[in-house]
Parts: sequence; C-alpha cells; structure tokens
Amino acid sequence: MTPRFILTAERVRNGFAALFVLGFFAYLFGPLIIMGVTAFNSSAFPRMSPFECFTVEWFDVLANDAKLVEGLRNSLFIGVGVVLLAVPLGLSGALMLTQVKERVRPWYYTIVISPILVPGVVLGISTLLFWDRIGTMFGASRDSIFYDGFFLTIIGQATFISAYTMLVFISRLQRFDVSQEEAALDLGATHVQTFRKILLPFLKPAILSAAVLAFLASFENYNTTVFTIVSESTLTTFLAGKVRHGINPSISALAVIIVVITLLGAALHEVLKRREAAAEKETARIAAGELARRRRVKPFALEPAVLLIALVFVAGLGSAYFAGTIGVEECKAQVKAEKIRQAQERTRQREAKAMFQNAPAASEAAGQQIQSTDKSERAGVSQFQGIFDVGNLKDQAGADDGGDGAAQQSPLGTENFNPIFAPQNLSPPIDSSGDNRNDNRSDGDNRNDNRGGDQ
Amino acid sequence: MSADVQLDEVWIRFGDFVAARDINISIRQGEFFSFLGPSGCGKTTLLRAVSGFLQPSQGRVSIGGRDMAGIGPNKRPTALIFQNLALFPLMTVWENITFALEVRGAGRAARRKKAEELLELIALPGQGEKMVSELSGGQRQRVAIARALAAEPSVLLLDEPLSALDLKLRQHMRTELRAIQRRVGITFIYITHDQGEALTMSDHVAVMSHGVIEQVGDGNSIYNRPESAFVASFVGENNLFSGTVAATDDAYVTVDSPAGRLRARHAMRGGKAQLAAGDSAFVFVRPESLKFAAGASSASAEASSTEASSSTGALDNRIGARIHQQEFEGNFWQVFCDVDGVDKRVKLSMVNDGASMGRGPGEEVTLGFNADLAVALPQGELAAE
Amino acid sequence: MFAYWQNFFRKHGAALSVFLLASVGFWIFMMILLPQAFMLDFSLRANVPPPKWGSDAHHYTAEHYRYMLYGSAQSVDSYNFVDLSVFARTIVAAIFVTLIDLALCYPVAYYLAHAATGGWRRLMVLSLIVPFWVNELLRAFAFKIMFGGNGIINNALLWLGVIDQPYDFIRNSVALYSGLSYAYILLMIFPIYNAVESLDRNQIEAARDLGSPWWRIHKRVVIPHAKPGITSGCTMVFMLTAGALAAPQILGGPSSLWFTQIIYQAFNQAGNWARGSAYAIILLVVCILFVLLMMRVFKVKLGEIAR
Ligand SMILES: Nc1ncnc2c1ncn2[C@@H]1O[C@H](COP(=O)(O)OP(=O)(O)OP(=O)(O)O)[C@@H](O)[C@H]1O
Ligand SMILES: [Mg+2]
Repeated sequence: MTPRFILTAERVRNGFAALFVLGFFAYLFGPLIIMGVTAFNSSAFPRMSPFECFTVEWFDVLANDAKLVEGLRNSLFIGVGVVLLAVPLGLSGALMLTQVKERVRPWYYTIVISPILVPGVVLGISTLLFWDRIGTMFGASRDSIFYDGFFLTIIGQATFISAYTMLVFISRLQRFDVSQEEAALDLGATHVQTFRKILLPFLKPAILSAAVLAFLASFENYNTTVFTIVSESTLTTFLAGKVRHGINPSISALAVIIVVITLLGAALHEVLKRREAAAEKETARIAAGELARRRRVKPFALEPAVLLIALVFVAGLGSAYFAGTIGVEECKAQVKAEKIRQAQERTRQREAKAMFQNAPAASEAAGQQIQSTDKSERAGVSQFQGIFDVGNLKDQAGADDGGDGAAQQSPLGTENFNPIFAPQNLSPPIDSSGDNRNDNRSDGDNRNDNRGGDQ
Repeated sequence: MSADVQLDEVWIRFGDFVAARDINISIRQGEFFSFLGPSGCGKTTLLRAVSGFLQPSQGRVSIGGRDMAGIGPNKRPTALIFQNLALFPLMTVWENITFALEVRGAGRAARRKKAEELLELIALPGQGEKMVSELSGGQRQRVAIARALAAEPSVLLLDEPLSALDLKLRQHMRTELRAIQRRVGITFIYITHDQGEALTMSDHVAVMSHGVIEQVGDGNSIYNRPESAFVASFVGENNLFSGTVAATDDAYVTVDSPAGRLRARHAMRGGKAQLAAGDSAFVFVRPESLKFAAGASSASAEASSTEASSSTGALDNRIGARIHQQEFEGNFWQVFCDVDGVDKRVKLSMVNDGASMGRGPGEEVTLGFNADLAVALPQGELAAE
Repeated sequence: MFAYWQNFFRKHGAALSVFLLASVGFWIFMMILLPQAFMLDFSLRANVPPPKWGSDAHHYTAEHYRYMLYGSAQSVDSYNFVDLSVFARTIVAAIFVTLIDLALCYPVAYYLAHAATGGWRRLMVLSLIVPFWVNELLRAFAFKIMFGGNGIINNALLWLGVIDQPYDFIRNSVALYSGLSYAYILLMIFPIYNAVESLDRNQIEAARDLGSPWWRIHKRVVIPHAKPGITSGCTMVFMLTAGALAAPQILGGPSSLWFTQIIYQAFNQAGNWARGSAYAIILLVVCILFVLLMMRVFKVKLGEIAR
C-alpha cells in the first residue's frame, strides 16, 4: 500500500504557518519589486501593468537631472563626514563604557544610547537650534559653519549613528582579551603604541563594518536631514521633494539605483560581519588551545561573496542597458499604433452611440471629448493622483472644470484612470531635458512635476 | 649577591578584601624563585604588583635597589609571561617576539636578527613566519618566553606558564625553562600551584596561603622541614596525627594522640620554638618515613625506643594498625591502614625491592617511624585536599 | 574622585585619555544633552525673529504649549482641536501600527526560528535584510505606486470585480497605515527573531511532551523568553512610527496630518521655530514615557531595548 497523506491538525497548522510566512515575504518584497518594474516600463505613469516597453530611458532622465547629481554628491560627502565623525565617537564611547565606574555605568549607558530612542526629527531640530544659538552667541556670520547645512547634517546624523557604531564596538570589545594590552605595556609599549598596535588591529573588522553601517545610515537618513540641511539638498531630500510633487517613473529609476547602492552596502556589511564572526571563532579556538591550521585571511576583494555580488551587479547593469536600448523605439511605435487604433475605435463607438441616441447634449459632449481628449484624460487622472499632494488641490480644481462633464458621461468607467491613450501625447521628443520631456508626455502627475522643483 | 627584587611590608587590598598581607621577601639576582600556593591565594596579585599593573595599598616594591612606586609597567625592567600567554594573534611569530624592540623603534633588520637569535634559543629556528595559531601549545609557550626575553628584562615573571600543557609537555618544559634560565642568567620569578614544578626548578620557594607567606626556603627545607601545618599538608603527602603536647624541648616534642604517645622533631619558626606543653599540635609523618615494625605494637614511645627491631632498626614510634588496602605502583607499594582514633587512613609507601610484600588486607600490623623523620607543628589551617 | 582620574590617566596615558574624554565629552554634551536642553529652553521662549534672540523680547513664556492645548496664546475657551486631534491620531495610530506589526512578526519570527530548517532559514533571514536597508522614502513611494488610482491594487480589485470604481486608498489613509506598518516592520522582526532563536528547542519539546496545547506553550514558554525582543521591537516601532515624517508626507491624504508634519510646517512654512520646538519636546516626552512604560511593564533594562 502506498502511504497515504493523512491530514492531521499538526499538518494543517504547519501548512497555515508556511502560507502565512509566504504571505509575509510577499508583503515585504512585493512593493519593492513592483517599484523596480515600473522603472523599466516606458509608460509615463509608474505602473507595472500594462507593461508597455522595456526601457532604460528613465535612467537617462535622471542622469540629466543636475539637482539629482548635486544631491547625490552632497549625500556622499555627508556620508563620508558622518563616517569620519561617528566611528571615532562610537569607539571612544565604547572604550569609555569599559572605564567608567560601576556606579556611573548605567547612567552613562542611558545617555549615550538615548539618541537611538529619540525621534529623528527631534534630533534634527535640536541640532539646528543648538548650533544656531552657539553661532549667535559668538556673533558668527550667517554663512559661518554654525549655519552650514553640511556641518549641521553631519553633526545631527552622527548624534545617533555614533550610538549605532558604539554598539558594534561594544560587542567586539567584549571579546577582547585585556591581557594582550597588558602584555604590550609590559614589553615597554607606551599607551598610544598599545592602542595603535594591539587594540586597533583587533578592532579593525569592527571599524570597517561600523564605517559601512554609518555610511548607509547617513545615506538613507531623511528625518534628521530634512531639518539640518537648511538650503542644501541631499539625495533623500531631493527624492522627498520629487515624490511629494508627483510621481513618475524616473523616481522609480532613482529608487532602483538607491536600492542597488544600499543593497551593495548592506551585502558588504553582512560579508564584513561574517568575516568578523569567522575570525572570532578562530581566536576562540586559539584561546582554547586547539591546534588550528589557520587560514590566511584572503584579501577582501577576493572574498567569493564580494566577487559574486560585483559580478551580478555588472552583468545585470550591462544586460539591462542593452535590453533597454535595443528595440525600444519599435516597441513604442507599436504601442502607439495600437493605442491610436483603440482610441479611434472608441471614438467610432461613441459617435455611433451618439447618433443612435441622437441627443444633442450627448453629441456635444462627445464632440468635446474628441477635441479635448488630452484635457479630459488629465482631469481623469488628477482625480485620483492629484490628491496625493496638498499643493495640487488648486490646480486640480481648475482642471476639473473640463474634466467633470466628460468623466461623468464617459461610457466606460475605466477609461478615466487610464491616462495614456491621448494620441497627441504618444510621441516623446527624446532630445530635450528631463523636465521638458515630462511636460510633453503629460499626464496628471508629470504635469505637476515641472512646477514641483524644490520647495 | 645583592637583592634584585625586594618586597617590604607589602599589603594589597581590594576594598575590604586583603589579597596580600604583610609580604616581606627578598629575591637575589639571577635566582629562580617560585611562589607556590593554592588557587586564589594571591600569587598573581603579588606578581602584578611587581610588574607594575597594580600599586600596593601599602609597603614598598623595589627592583635593583630602586623604589618602583609610581613607575608604570612599561618602564619597569620586568617582563611578565601571562597565565594565558597573551600572545598577539594578529602577528606572526617573529613579530610577536620582537614586539619589545619594535616599540623602542628598532629597525626591521635588527629585529629580524634578534628574532633569529631568540628562535634559536627556544629551539624553533626558521619558524618566525608562522602565525601564532599555527604553533603547538608548547611552541607557543616558548614563543611567549622569547617575546619576554627580547625585552631584555632583568627580572622575568612567569604566571603559571605551564598550567595549560599536558603532563608530558609540562615535564619537558620544566627542564627547558630551567636551562633557558641558566643560559640567560636573569632572575626568574615563577608562579605555580604545582609543587613538583616549584620543587624541581627553584632555588627558593615561597609557600603562600590566603595572602600570607607561610615559609620561604629551598626545596629541601620546604619539603623536609615545614614550619607550619599548612606547608606540611600542602607540600608533598603527609600523614597527620593530632594531639596535645605532653612535653617539649628544643629538639623534640612528645605529643599524646589517639594513636598513642608520639615523639617528633620540634619545628622552629624564625629560630623560635613554636610549641609548649599543653598546646594542641599536629604530628606529620611522610608515607615513605613509615615502616612496618616487627612484633606487637606498643603505644609507648619510651618503651619502643629501647627495643631493637630486627628488620628496621630502632624506631622511635610504634602504632597499631590494620591494613585496609594496598596498591601496586611498580616502583612503590602504597599501603593504606586504619588506625583507631585517626580519621584519615594512614598511608605508607614501600620501595618495591622485588620481594612480595607478604601482607594482605585485614592483617593487624605495627607501624613505626623515627622521631627525626616526623615533625610536630602547632595546629593550624591545612591545605585543602 | 581625583584618585580615579589619576588612575585613569595612568592607565591610558595622557594622549589617549585626553582623546577619550574630549570625544566622549563632545558627543554627550555638544550633541546629546545640550541640544536637547537648548531646544527645551527655546520652546519656552517667545517667537521672535533670529536677530532678537537673547534680547528682552525673547522672554520666557509657555505660550507654545498653551497653543497646543487651546489654539491661542491667550484664551482658554476652546481647545485646539486641530493639533490635539492630530496628536491623538498620531499616537493612537502609532500604537495600532505597533500592534499590527507585532501580530504579523511574532508568528513569522517563531516560524523562522523554530520551524524552518537549515539553508531555507538562513536564506529567509538574510533576505529580511534586503528591505531593511531600503530607504523609508522609497518604501512609501512603492506604496504610493501600488495604492494609486490605477495602481496594481485597484486594478486587481477592479479585475476581480470587488469594486467597480477605483477606491481612493490615499484619502482614506489605508495607504498611510499600510505604509507605516511596512516601513518599520523589520525593526520588530529582528529583535523577536533573535530572542526566540536563543530559546532552547528542548524547552518547547519538553512542554509539548507534558501535553501543553500549542497556545499554552507560547504563553508560558516562548513569549516570556522573547519578552526583551518583543519590548525592543515594540519600542522601536512605536518610536519610529510616531516620529515618522517621510511616509505621512508621501502617503498621507490631503486632509490628514501626522504630528511630525505639524512640526515640519512650523519650521518650514509658518517660520515659528519656537512652537516647532515645543511640539518636538512634546513628541520627545511621549517617546520617553513610552520607553519608560515598556521598561516598567515588561521589566526589561534599557540595554535590552536598544541593541
Ligand atoms: N581586581 C580584583 N578585585 C577584587 N578582588 C581581586 C582582584 N584581583 C584578584 N582578586 C582576589 O584576590 C585573590 C587572589 O587572586 P589571584 O589572582 O592573585 O590568585 P592566584 O593565587 O593567582 O590564583 P590562581 O592560581 O587561580 O591563578 C582572589 O581571591 C581574587 O578573588
Ligand atoms: Mg593566578
């Protein structure tokens, strides 16, 4: 007899659990995947379906955006600054923890760990105010360092990022054998020599992973930065401005880039952590007196994981770029032809319907619709997308004048939120700069984008 | 020769806890000096005070005649070999060895040369490029010694350096250590709780207990002429009879014990008599000093002292006992006997001369020993088994 | 005390001691304590333009806190329903989001730690790190795309015939709450996973042997063990949600505000830094109270929360 599958309560429960976990992961990754896909869809509105043509044009749009490049440069600069500040601070904080008296330690720890538990906006505001006051106290001029967006942002971010790096160092220091320090001193080394030659080499992996952690945390910080950055912009504040003033696939493209960068960073961080853990085990074995054939630590660049990541990254980039540039134009032309055909079809249907009903009002509306397809479509979209932005409400109201009538009378409800079948919108001029182009391919949101800029 | 390391009335306290109590020791230039004591008695603490990691709460540490107060470990002419060796795992063997030169700013060529010399000395030539983790336990041990010697200390401090090694290696390293010490000719201060180590290697041994120095002397005097009950019970094996002093003179003490009246040497301490009639006392007899006496037992020391024994000659003391068990150890017979009124079984060691012992468990026997081979001491704390 | 510092200097040498003290001192005073103190001070002063700061016009007043309550610096007749309701909504929603995340994460963390095996588990745990590192703005953006009028969700619902008009998820705050739950969910799952994973599997087996039903095993064995992780996760999620700015800015409907947005407006639009600081102080106090409450209720130490 073949063993039959018996449905037990246990199995049912396990099945449900597995389903639940599956759902959870879908929930985690779904949005990111959808966002990623929209970056490669030639559709002017970030969407996954219908997927029109595979394209990398949105990345070109980005590359031509001077503001973005500037924000990116600022983010990198601030990230480096934060690393340079937060790593020594975290290290000192961790070293100090081992030194303060037993009685003081809980208080000390509470204070240095508290920035992690304070909302980012609060940190940003307090940093901004504090240095402002200090600047006033010294009578410093408005363009002195106390009012400088870079300085403030680095200080503000380092306040809590130092606590992160400190945690990294604490966990490493817990495994430090103090007698090594004493041995060095005993052999005549000065305190500074002992620190440089014994403690620092021991902490090196932790310093590396703390640096990566600090950079990532700085690179993706928004809440603190938005207050401290003053008149400058970083990648995140630029991104926030763009998202708030309407969405278009170039943001998805930017998202893909940022995700890739952060993921590479995160992978690096993970690899570093693993290396550290492996080294840890090794030292533990040595301490236990086991005779271990020590593997020489490979240079970092030769780590298989690092190589693999780099390879996948380069291959993905290359193939995506090729796929995105070849055959896009033909595909677009096809889609355009198809849309024109559909639009004509609909127009014919409406005309037929209007003639059939023979009602003057309806026919007039239909006529209007044909003439102002663009406008009604914009309105249709803005009904659903325009409200994303409080600032857009006024414009939306204006657009609604023409839109409302058409929308109500439109026989097909779904048409209203399908923005891209206006025939005159389907031929994008490739030459112009990003903003202009968006203007031409206008739909509800891109229209907002031109005005959006930075506020 | 002059005193190289001197401790005068040194006290070390951790809060209320006294880790070292009124320590007075002087160690001569070039000698191999050991501290011996059970775990937690304060040996490491004392060594840390000498090497400068710890300031004595009171008293004076001087090295080479110089008071060391306020001088940090990196400025003292000492080098310490740590209990766990504390080799630098991220450096190669030769980098480890020449660390002391590196921090003094010596050039690479000079360091390599010194490293080769020292590797030669510790019998690891050509192994300088290895990582520490690629060495065996004994090799690491020797690297730690070389690393300390490279600092050219006038005093080398060793904190139980052999405790992590297995028995064979430990015995081998003992000989090596002693040889190295003879070759370099500097003072070694050696810490151990293994008495075999202390007795075989040292010129002098200080026995410690609970932060107090119980006795200082060479191996022979520590073993044969213990001055306190602790030393007698800690160093070597000893049979113990407790009782009350009946009579005493400068040379001998007579003690009334449940095993009978026993006569033993009177141990002096600092040249002073320690016992008077009426005091509680312990009589210690080593297993190898006990003999089987022929004939019936006599509880009287006076009686037995006049009696001539056919097999063992005159024995000052005789004790009636019953054999409980005997163990054959090749070169020795170990015999355990019950003695009425004595809690712990009395142990007797007999050299195996090839003849059968001729006795068996349950047999009534008479044990005897000479007064010169037993010692009477005031009752006091004993070493834990 | 003097002896302590003397010892400290001797132990580390002058150069290192000075570096340690200076850097830790700078961090603690110039970056953590004084800025908060100055913000408190600032929030208690009148709102005057920067040139007048420190002058007589910049006097102490509680008007900004009063404003939060009454909507006016002078009258106490009516309450400031706008700000108060935003505040209440923020706090309640943050608690709500925290609970949702807890409910979602606990089973998953338990499953990952004790039901999944070997390579699969490692892969799943590793892949959790991926969304963890994605910028919170982008996570909100992804939700905006999904929940948009012709986003995938509306399209799917329309296709299924559940609705016949696109549903406005944004205006109805559905997008916001989902986005917030999503944004910080990994700060819930990691601490719980770490805590549950350290539980000895034998304990669960033993409890099962003794005939405990599965829910009792969780109640008596797993949850008590995972308490520090749960506390840590809840605290971080609450704090980050209540203090979130990006997600409400992107996903919030036109009529609904988040408390941080009011602070943001006070700074960037109304130019009333003093009121902004007062509101920031209020947010800070709420977060501190929440942390204290969690520490008290779950009897865990601060060190176990912030890891
Ligand atoms: N820093 C300290 N603070 C408080 N007590 C200490 C400190 N260092 C050592 N002690 C105490 O002093 C006593 C002696 O310790 P020490 O390390 O000198 O022992 P030891 O003789 O070296 O033992 P072992 O053979 O186990 O190494 C112990 O009871 C120990 O608990
Ligand atoms: Mg010790």
